[in-house]
Amino acid sequence: MTAAARIIINEVKSYHNFLKFMIGLVVLAVLASAVRFIFGLGSTTNMNDTYPWGLWISFDVVTAVPLAAGAFTLGAIVHCFHIKKLEPLVRPAIVTGFLGYSLVCIGLLLDLGQPHKGWHTLVYWNVHSPMFEVSMCVMAYTTVLFLEFLSPVCEKFGYHMPLRVLRWLEMPLVIAAASISTLHQSSLGTFFLIAVDKLHNLWYNPLLPLQFWMSAIFTGMSIIILEATMVHRYLGQPDESELLEVLTKILPWVLGAYLTVKIAAMAFLSHGPLFDRPVLLALFLVEVIVGVIMPMVMFMKESNREDNRMQLRGASMIIFGVVLNRFNVSMFGMIQADQVIYYPSIVESLVTIGIIAGHILFFVLLAKYFPIFEHHPETVDYSLPDHFHEVDGHEQAKGVEA
Amino acid sequence: MSGNSKDFSKQRTFLIDTTKCTGCRGCQVACKQWNQLGAENTKFFSGEGYQNPPAMSEYTFTRIKFKDYQKNGQNEFAFYKEMCMHCNEPACASVCPVGAFVKTPEGPVVYNAGRCIGCRFCMIACPFGIPKYEWSKAFPLVKKCTGCYGRVKEGLQPACATTCPTAISYGSRSDMIAEAERRLKNRPKHYYPAIYGKEEAGGTSVIYLTHQPLDELGFKPVTTRPLPSYTWQALRLVPGIFLTMGGGLSLISWFNHRKERIKQEEAFKNSKVAPETAETKTREENQ
Amino acid sequence: MTNHWIDLKNSDAIFIIGCNPAENHPISFKWIEEAMDKGAKLIVVDPRYTRSASKADIYAQIRPGTDIAFLGGMINYALQNNLIHEEYVREYTNAPFIISEKYDFKDGMFCSFDEQEKTYDLKSLAYELGPDGKPRRDNSMKDPRCVLQLMKKHFSRYDVDKVCSITGTKKEDYLKVAQAFCGTGRADKAGTLLYAMGITQSTHGTQNVRATAMLQTLLGNIGIAGGGVNALRGESNVQGSTDYGLLFHLLPGYLKSPEFDNVDLKSYIDKWTPQTKDGRSANWWGNTPKYITSLLKAWYGDNATQANDFCYSYLPKRMGSYAYNKIMDKMLAGGLEGLVCMGMNPAVGGPDSGNARTALSKLKWLVTVDLWETETSIFWKRPGVNPSDIQTEVFMLPAASSVEKEGSISNSGRWAQWRYKAVEPVGHSMSDLWIIDQFFKRVRNLYSKEKGAFPEPITKLAWNYGNGHEPDVHLVAKEINGYFTKDTTIVDKDKTLEFKKGDQVPMFKYLQADGSTTSGCWVYSGSYTKEGNQMARRDQSDPTGLGLFPKWSWCWPVNRRIIYNRASVNTAGEPFNPKRALIAWDGLEKKWKGDVPDGPWPPMKDDKEGKYPFIMLPEGHARLYALDLKDGPFPEHYEPMESPSRNQLSRTQNNPVVKLPKNVSSDTVKFPFIGTTYRMTEHWQTGGMTRSVPWLVELVPDMFVEISESLAKQKGFRKGDKVKVTTERGTIEAVVLITSRLKPFNVEGKMIEQVGMPWHFGYAGTAKGDSANMLTPSVGCANTSIPEFKAFLCNIEKGGSKA
Ligand SMILES: Nc1nc2c(c(=O)[nH]1)N[C@H]1C(S)=C(S)[C@@H](COP(=O)(O)OP(=O)(O)OC[C@H]3O[C@@H](n4cnc5c(=O)[nH]c(N)nc54)[C@H](O)[C@@H]3O)O[C@H]1N2
Ligand SMILES: Nc1nc2c(c(=O)[nH]1)N[C@H]1C(S)=C(S)[C@@H](COP(=O)(O)OP(=O)(O)OC[C@H]3O[C@@H](n4cnc5c(=O)[nH]c(N)nc54)[C@H](O)[C@@H]3O)O[C@H]1N2
Ligand code: SF4
Ligand code: SF4
Ligand code: SF4
Ligand code: SF4
Ligand code: SF4
Ligand SMILES: [Mo]
Repeated sequence: MTAAARIIINEVKSYHNFLKFMIGLVVLAVLASAVRFIFGLGSTTNMNDTYPWGLWISFDVVTAVPLAAGAFTLGAIVHCFHIKKLEPLVRPAIVTGFLGYSLVCIGLLLDLGQPHKGWHTLVYWNVHSPMFEVSMCVMAYTTVLFLEFLSPVCEKFGYHMPLRVLRWLEMPLVIAAASISTLHQSSLGTFFLIAVDKLHNLWYNPLLPLQFWMSAIFTGMSIIILEATMVHRYLGQPDESELLEVLTKILPWVLGAYLTVKIAAMAFLSHGPLFDRPVLLALFLVEVIVGVIMPMVMFMKESNREDNRMQLRGASMIIFGVVLNRFNVSMFGMIQADQVIYYPSIVESLVTIGIIAGHILFFVLLAKYFPIFEHHPETVDYSLPDHFHEVDGHEQAKGVEA
Repeated sequence: MSGNSKDFSKQRTFLIDTTKCTGCRGCQVACKQWNQLGAENTKFFSGEGYQNPPAMSEYTFTRIKFKDYQKNGQNEFAFYKEMCMHCNEPACASVCPVGAFVKTPEGPVVYNAGRCIGCRFCMIACPFGIPKYEWSKAFPLVKKCTGCYGRVKEGLQPACATTCPTAISYGSRSDMIAEAERRLKNRPKHYYPAIYGKEEAGGTSVIYLTHQPLDELGFKPVTTRPLPSYTWQALRLVPGIFLTMGGGLSLISWFNHRKERIKQEEAFKNSKVAPETAETKTREENQ
Repeated sequence: MTNHWIDLKNSDAIFIIGCNPAENHPISFKWIEEAMDKGAKLIVVDPRYTRSASKADIYAQIRPGTDIAFLGGMINYALQNNLIHEEYVREYTNAPFIISEKYDFKDGMFCSFDEQEKTYDLKSLAYELGPDGKPRRDNSMKDPRCVLQLMKKHFSRYDVDKVCSITGTKKEDYLKVAQAFCGTGRADKAGTLLYAMGITQSTHGTQNVRATAMLQTLLGNIGIAGGGVNALRGESNVQGSTDYGLLFHLLPGYLKSPEFDNVDLKSYIDKWTPQTKDGRSANWWGNTPKYITSLLKAWYGDNATQANDFCYSYLPKRMGSYAYNKIMDKMLAGGLEGLVCMGMNPAVGGPDSGNARTALSKLKWLVTVDLWETETSIFWKRPGVNPSDIQTEVFMLPAASSVEKEGSISNSGRWAQWRYKAVEPVGHSMSDLWIIDQFFKRVRNLYSKEKGAFPEPITKLAWNYGNGHEPDVHLVAKEINGYFTKDTTIVDKDKTLEFKKGDQVPMFKYLQADGSTTSGCWVYSGSYTKEGNQMARRDQSDPTGLGLFPKWSWCWPVNRRIIYNRASVNTAGEPFNPKRALIAWDGLEKKWKGDVPDGPWPPMKDDKEGKYPFIMLPEGHARLYALDLKDGPFPEHYEPMESPSRNQLSRTQNNPVVKLPKNVSSDTVKFPFIGTTYRMTEHWQTGGMTRSVPWLVELVPDMFVEISESLAKQKGFRKGDKVKVTTERGTIEAVVLITSRLKPFNVEGKMIEQVGMPWHFGYAGTAKGDSANMLTPSVGCANTSIPEFKAFLCNIEKGGSKA
């Protein structure tokens, strides 16, 4: 035991300082979570009856979910649309997705008043609730991502049998992932359809779910760009900018479609005043101009699409835009003119920072210990071997003996 | 939310005639007493007039709002009771992932604490800002006016309605609306010509009459469409989208993979090796 | 109340002056709203824009203490514009009566004032009697010495402009009030008038009330459904306690308490039994001998005999005033040994309570009987005193609350409603009845054992309330109703009635002056009869449709729901307003239908048997001109003792028969603002009952003062600031509430600000705060001594030690 501990400690000691810093942040978040459970939500967060949802829902859930959309977008692109070139990006995306969703779940458990009753959603169905829909989807999708994530794990430990099952499952999983994601990414938008008289008209319109879904797609792609670039820069992985160019080619189309839907919905489907609140208008303009129009224009030019620096810049803008959009919808746009402004408490901030840090930390650690980048899809055989059934039988027999 | 097909005319409804409300706050205290809610620790007055406590909360299911202002040199001192509207088609119930809120056939919208997971979506959804949270607790629950369902089921009136000397009438929705309309007709100059809650949020089991214009009193303008329908118009597409998406992607990938497979099978035929079999066997034996 | 709460729904105009029923009598609004639904107008006259005012069709602001000017102006308006109910006034009031030649009124004073004694010689202000010994009258009401003409003259000085200049009311508002309410001076209209402490708590409080009664009488609004002069009584059973002789000058049933010169029963009866030469006057107080004898029989039982004057000599005789302020003065001077304070909290509720608190420390012992620890029971450890300096021994007896005991409660409408015990008393608390029972028994035992100066008044008392641990409250109630002490036969017109010894008396008509009946309170005779406890009746039938509910509980007198109801019909017994017929004479059956009439006699027109409607007065007519009030026959406007204004009507600044106490000041430089005190819904009185109830404390947690926006501006206050309010008597601290509901008064062109305060706070209980009564003057009404809580002078400044 002590020996094992010593090994772990030595291992950790060898980490880069940045990672140690991340560990520190995660530890702080864990402590903050403990504080939340000991002292209750009211005294540790700045949430109250006016702001029943704070940073945790706005970021940890509403924003984190589209940020983890890389997996399903890329899965669909690679496997369904068969753009095999991008295969090397899939695994990191899945890992990010899996981490992202796991952390969403953790964030939710902290936020729930009765986390021990979380399983009730599985038992007491209310199909009229977008929350029900999203939680079912998130649970299902996390499972899917988990299964997908098992591949590198099995590879690492050389579990070939499950690997085969997983590979056999790959297509259905990818399709399930894409369908489920479509549902819950859009349903996050459906959340706010109930806030008819609360959410400002700049954002409120019946096409909100569609916009949420579309933005999840381009966010997913942007995250992949960001991630690949970061990994290249800081983890010494190969430069994938050539692959990323495929994405930057698709992006302006999606952004354009999104912009069209957004403007059309605003113009034709929203009721009431749009420009009555200057601060909200500014937020809206920043979101649209920086997050949508500028990257769209940028990626319309070929030289920008190819240039890794511009790829990063554009992707970052898109990500910024989506984060702002999700905050606009779930928080800023919901603040009524006469309300005091909410800002997150220390505990809330620590938890959210810890979640982001945890994400980075676990990604790096996973990359360090599992074959996430060493994966060479071109050399892998996707077909089921002829003697699959034999092996299967053998395995089962062994199981019975034992 | 089947909506329009439902008949709400028999549901128990509060008619709150604010022109008759004396601001005595008997209802506020009666509610606390019946529901055994704690008192808030207040200082001085928190709003206009003698208004207290500052807001509805886990301890305060109903509250009299005071309005104390002047209009054309004339004083206005108005009072109205804030409480759950017991919407015909409640937003709170529709968004609750576990169905903890239920619109009872009698009228009150009730809460099943045993089910609640504490996501607070109901609080976001309610157009009137009614559900409140036990912020002081580590594992909080939602709190709101129960419509005194326990009393109503026993044939009694809600505690606040029983206490009120003047302003609250309680009866079937159709009777209350008829009574409200009768009053409007009877004393047109006395009343602002609107019945708040008749249409708001698709109709509620609490309706108001006022003397002053609604916006002066701070009544929220609320859509007349039942709120759940806004969500449902998107949510009802879910199965369709799921099937379309899944089916579409399956088709596309089946198509793409078929091409691939044909290519691969050809390659496979050319090199008849099963590279992994031997390896697997040795590994298993070693274990 | 001449009428009752439910009857408010029958009104066409509801005139609220000097009370705030929305806040202090919330249930009343149920009936007011019902009337308004049917088109009635609601009028509110108050210095502040209250919660009642917020419901009014017409609101008029009035400067505290100027109600006589306001009402006098309305009387003038009704007379000048001939809006009075003429037939009613001629037949049923003393308007046609001729007044003594000596009557004179000059510069605010009536004739024959004794400067030394500060009293009027009321004989010079009497009716002029005819040769038959009856008051002389002129039915044309033209005689310059008849009441109507004197009245016209007296109130002609109260023209609208003058009145508004005194009261600070806006002229257009005033005219609206006058038009709307005087419009009820018609047979087919009913107007009701509601008043309480804004009218009574004044050095001319009784004359304020008289002004309301005169207005209502002129308009023919008394005795009718939807009319009346309705005093909204205060404490839940204060009506009952007044009926049972709470006040020092009264015995139960409004019999006068004996004065020092009423040496024996005969001289008592001679003094207090009014006489009339007019056979058509019922002169009901002519029955005084029956009632006093029955009362003495109830108290002294078999010990009371004709031979010993029914133990009359055991009754204490009074000399002078025993009013609250007099008791406090005496206590302060060390003249009282002990005090039993039963359900009362003078350390907060009385005027000039700083003085009262000091006075308590002069006592040797103090017993408080209360539900709570009150400011009075902990006066010895109040802030700012050293308990070791106070020698008073204090006993606190815990009392059971109203829901923890059985008995009757009389509401303002005179309904005695029986209540049952809902829960057992908390802890060691006992019912007041048990406490009094024990008090009595222990004192009697001491007297029996140790004798004493004069033990008989105690030892001879009949005390037969059962042998249980708790006295039987039903036996008490039965004794109050009265019973026959021997078998009796009574011939009543054509009927002969036989009663057995011990039978309950059916009603006070059968009480006797010979000792054959008892009655603890004659007005309640009929409340607990052979048929059972009438107060416990709960039948909701309403045959007249007027909401009289004759079989719901029981109402004194004789279950008559609206008193003076014989004035609701013309002399032929036909209702003035057939749509709201309260009673009507059925000529065929030769009887009255509807409410229980004021006596069984046929209508006034009947020359032989007919009687005047105002049966409690010897002349049988409502008194527009009063005969026995200390401050004169007509209300006259005087300023409050502390006033920022000169009297604009005469050079008599204050009520001339009130003696000025020392710590009163009208120095408007030191005290430029009008201070006033009032209640609010959320608290009860001195706060004992409410300031420890968390749900109520939540609503009104702190002592506060309300001021106008203009005063706030002038003083630089913001809402929630701590301020100090000072009068000649003391200083208190509070939080300031700024509101447009309070406005300054325009007095002769000068804007005078008001400072309003609830008086519910004190140093006991959970929500503590300074008591407004530290500021109020201990000076009272000429006739009743009720303190002038509503109008005094004060200053207000920022700060205070708690700031
Ligand atoms: N909630 C509650 N209810 C109560 C009580 C309580 O303490 N709390 N107390 C009970 C008792 S014992 C009583 S006696 C009654 C009293 O009941 P109210 O008489 O209604 O009580 P107040 O508030 O003292 O005075 C009534 C109004 O008179 C106004 N006023 C002051 N001065 C004048 C004036 O000079 N002229 C006129 N016209 N108006 C004036 C005041 O602004 C106030 O609004 O209430 C009873 N009801
Ligand atoms: N400044 C100012 N002062 C005023 C007034 C005002 O308008 N302004 N109003 C005046 C008026 S109208 C009144 S009536 C007086 C009232 O003055 P108080 O009568 O002194 O005041 P309360 O607080 O009603 O006191 C009643 C006490 O009786 C107790 N009690 C309640 N029920 C029972 C019971 O069943 N048995 C016993 N033994 N005790 C019981 C209560 O706890 C309370 O302490 O105040 C007067 N003081
Ligand atoms: S008012 Fe709000 S809490 Fe009440 S039923 Fe409607 S939606 Fe639900
Ligand atoms: S907080 Fe509870 S009641 Fe409200 S929506 Fe969530 S689970 Fe339902
Ligand atoms: S219905 Fe019941 S729970 Fe709701 S406000 Fe009234 S008393 Fe309170
Ligand atoms: S009890 Fe009735 S009158 Fe009193 S505040 Fe409540 S609603 Fe208004
Ligand atoms: S407190 Fe009691 S007496 Fe006063 S209005 Fe309410 S119910 Fe009537
Ligand atoms: Mo009172």
